[in-house]
Amino acid sequence: MSTDTATSNALKAKSAEGEYLTFVLGAEEYGLEILKVQEIRGYDAVTQIANTPDFIKGVVNLRGKIVPIVDLRIKFNLGKVEYNELTVVIILNLRGRVVGVVVDGVSDVIALKDEQIRDVPSLVTSIDTKYIVGLATLDERMLILVDIEQLMSSQEMALMDAVAA
Amino acid sequence: MTIDMSQFYEVFFDEADELLAEAERLLLGIDMESPDDEELNAIFRAAHSIKGGAATFGFMDMTEITHVLENLLDKIRKHEMALTAEHVDAFLAAKDVLAMELNGHRNAAEVDQEQVADVKMVLKSLSDASGVVIAAHPVAVAPAPVAAPVPTALAKIEYSATAEVAQHEIPDGSSCFNIVMPEITERDVENLQEELGLLGLVVVSKQTNGRYVLSLTTDSSQADIVSICSFIVDADDLVITLASTATAVSPVVEVSVATTAPELAKTESKTESKATSGSGVEIHEEVGYGLFEEEGKEKVEEGYGFFAPFQPHPDAVVASLIGDDTVLTVANSGEPAVITAAAVEAATEAGSTAPGGVERRSPGRRESDKATSNTETSSIRVGVEKVDQLINLVGELVITQAMIEQRISHLDPVHHEALINSVGQLTRNTRDLQESVMSIRMMPMDFVFSRFPRMVRDLAAKLNKKVEFVTIGAATELDKGLIERIVDPLTHLVRNSVDHGIEIPANRRAAGKGEAGTLTLSAAHKGGSIVIEVTDDGAGLNRNKLLEKATKNGLAVSENMSDSEVFALIFAPGFSTAEVVTDVSGRGVGMDVVKRNITSMGGVVEIRSALGFGTTISIALPLTLAILDGMSVSLGKSIYVIPLNLIVETLQPRAEDIKTVTGEGRMVHVRGEYLPIIALHSLFNHATDITDPTKGVLVLIESDGKKSALFVDRLVGQQQVVIKSLETNFKKVPGISGATIMGDGGVALILDVSAIIQMGQNTNYLTGAPPFSNPNNQPLQNQRNA
Repeated sequence: MSTDTATSNALKAKSAEGEYLTFVLGAEEYGLEILKVQEIRGYDAVTQIANTPDFIKGVVNLRGKIVPIVDLRIKFNLGKVEYNELTVVIILNLRGRVVGVVVDGVSDVIALKDEQIRDVPSLVTSIDTKYIVGLATLDERMLILVDIEQLMSSQEMALMDAVAA
Repeated sequence: MTIDMSQFYEVFFDEADELLAEAERLLLGIDMESPDDEELNAIFRAAHSIKGGAATFGFMDMTEITHVLENLLDKIRKHEMALTAEHVDAFLAAKDVLAMELNGHRNAAEVDQEQVADVKMVLKSLSDASGVVIAAHPVAVAPAPVAAPVPTALAKIEYSATAEVAQHEIPDGSSCFNIVMPEITERDVENLQEELGLLGLVVVSKQTNGRYVLSLTTDSSQADIVSICSFIVDADDLVITLASTATAVSPVVEVSVATTAPELAKTESKTESKATSGSGVEIHEEVGYGLFEEEGKEKVEEGYGFFAPFQPHPDAVVASLIGDDTVLTVANSGEPAVITAAAVEAATEAGSTAPGGVERRSPGRRESDKATSNTETSSIRVGVEKVDQLINLVGELVITQAMIEQRISHLDPVHHEALINSVGQLTRNTRDLQESVMSIRMMPMDFVFSRFPRMVRDLAAKLNKKVEFVTIGAATELDKGLIERIVDPLTHLVRNSVDHGIEIPANRRAAGKGEAGTLTLSAAHKGGSIVIEVTDDGAGLNRNKLLEKATKNGLAVSENMSDSEVFALIFAPGFSTAEVVTDVSGRGVGMDVVKRNITSMGGVVEIRSALGFGTTISIALPLTLAILDGMSVSLGKSIYVIPLNLIVETLQPRAEDIKTVTGEGRMVHVRGEYLPIIALHSLFNHATDITDPTKGVLVLIESDGKKSALFVDRLVGQQQVVIKSLETNFKKVPGISGATIMGDGGVALILDVSAIIQMGQNTNYLTGAPPFSNPNNQPLQNQRNA
């Protein structure tokens, strides 16, 4: 299976074929490119950072590295935000920058072919559709494929000083 | 197969840098009256090594300068001319030019060709002048101490001038060289064989005395062979003979020489020599190293102490030689020039059996050669990022180890004795490991100090002052990052001391002091920090003058300020008490920058001075940039770290000390000063139960001359923390300078004190109203903000 790096930059028009890690936010199921994932761990106590948006939970110590943690549930207003032993943090490695994302749970790693991926219709959502690579159908469920790198480096996430173009 | 030379450029640049610095250090330390032979030799060697390297890499401009420099140095070290201040100046100028050219090659920086030409001319003329002196007194050569025989010093390159010339003239002709190695290991021989294999066909044979002989058939010149061999063995220890030349040689003069040395007579030396005036200079150079005359014992009396360059011209006496060859003429005019084209065996024998010849080499030179090569092999160059990575990893290890220790502390010591013991051992090992890893980044202060003697010398000369420069504690080690950043502030302080501190000789005499002022640069460890002091025994700071000037500049001052407060005024921007602005200093720009730079390194500056007796400026720096002495404070459930060097004091205020302006903008009254209170919880929007300053703690912080009282819940403790950047994975957060990992694995944020004071002002002083009871504060604020 070829998961070339082009996928990371792929917008709707481009091929989004590849392996995806699927995760749950509220009642919706999302997918992100597996190669961006460094590890998956439980939710630990974070150190809050002053004067940052509420979806930035703070920073944690990941084996000596200071890593910011973002709660996508807060960002996208999805589901009940609670932190328990089932809360999962996906640690992403985006071009060397390490970021943690809080989700309700991770479910699977699936391989998707081009023909399984549909374009996203124009919608009004809290996530800009330009960060959505496409929609995939999986056993009657809809999977929202996000371009996590573009999303995380976007201005609205306020995670990085310089926005990667 | 070709070797890509460019990959070695960096090595050459580094080495040349070091050699230049070394040469400068030696030049400055040299005693003009009776220069130490050893030092002269060392300077010569440095010049020669640079020349060799530059030639190898094809930096011809550097080769040219070093060549002229070397010729002059050679004469001086052979006592053919006395060392004068003029020479030293010329050498220093040459060093500067070389450094400039080096920089030119390295960073494509601009090279002032005019300056290059000037220096070259000066050196040439000095060198030529010497020739006249020598010609007049050909025997006025001071005999240098003759050394005891060095048994293994088979230190010569014997070769026929014919061969050399032949190669220059017939480059496509192959020659067969016999290279006799000094005593080296088999592995080195293998390496050499491989290297030389790039030039041509190599055959290795071992002699009965344990030496290796390599026969090389190549069309390269001997210089190439020497430069390749010198990677592994000292070029001076090589014996290279030309066994045969494939191509016929143009005009050859064959001269038979009856040598008086019995040892050599046995070898039936026969000299083949050749008079080719055009190639003269080239040959001398190559021959100049590692060669000594074979003339035998008589020469010892005349002895120069060092091997004298070899003169292959039988007609040298009459040959019209240009400037730098004069020495050679003298050296050989008394004796017939002798060139042995002896067989390798004979040469070896001669070397080991002819003590007369061997003795002539200075033992000092050999020893120091060895010393140099020893230090070379005992250090390796490693990229800083690799070291940093290592330090980071060890830092993590230490944290992990601390976590394990914490976890096992709950265990029953009886049941888990073995485990607890093992962890105890792990603790010790980790600590040792951390210490050794941290020491990798440490560099001696000498790295900084060594650049000052030259500066002080030049400055003193320019200002007509006499300054004696003393350094103490140059071996004190400091983090490399800090070393690099301390250079500029220190340079400024030293310049200031020479310019303003030390008086001109007349004034010093009038004050009853010696004409020469003393400038001392010292470094020492004190507790967890390193203290660097610049001390002069000059005029000292004039308290009244400073106060007068401060009043004129509109700074808020009063007569009853303490001395240290008054002296600290010189760090205010635009403050200079110098009557005349010189190009050295006096513009009043700088001291504030010095202070800012040092503070940004987490350091503290302090001035001590006594009028008429001198001034000491003392800088205290943390040992490393990566570790910070901090005070951890709590706010709600979070822990923040405040850099300890920015904390003035901490106090728990009484209710009556808390004042307000128009019901807001709280201040605290501390010893006559009104300081704004910055409540960290409101600044950071941080939930906490303690909102009344009297229930919490006020930490008085100072940065850029501004003081504030930071209101936090309570003090947790003082500790050293490892600074981690927030920006690696996140972004810059206002008021936060970084993060650190605490013993329990949690993250604590380090406060950016100057930003917090700034933020506090913006929120507390929105009205712009000055603190009501201290109107003097207003102009002071403006002054400092300007």
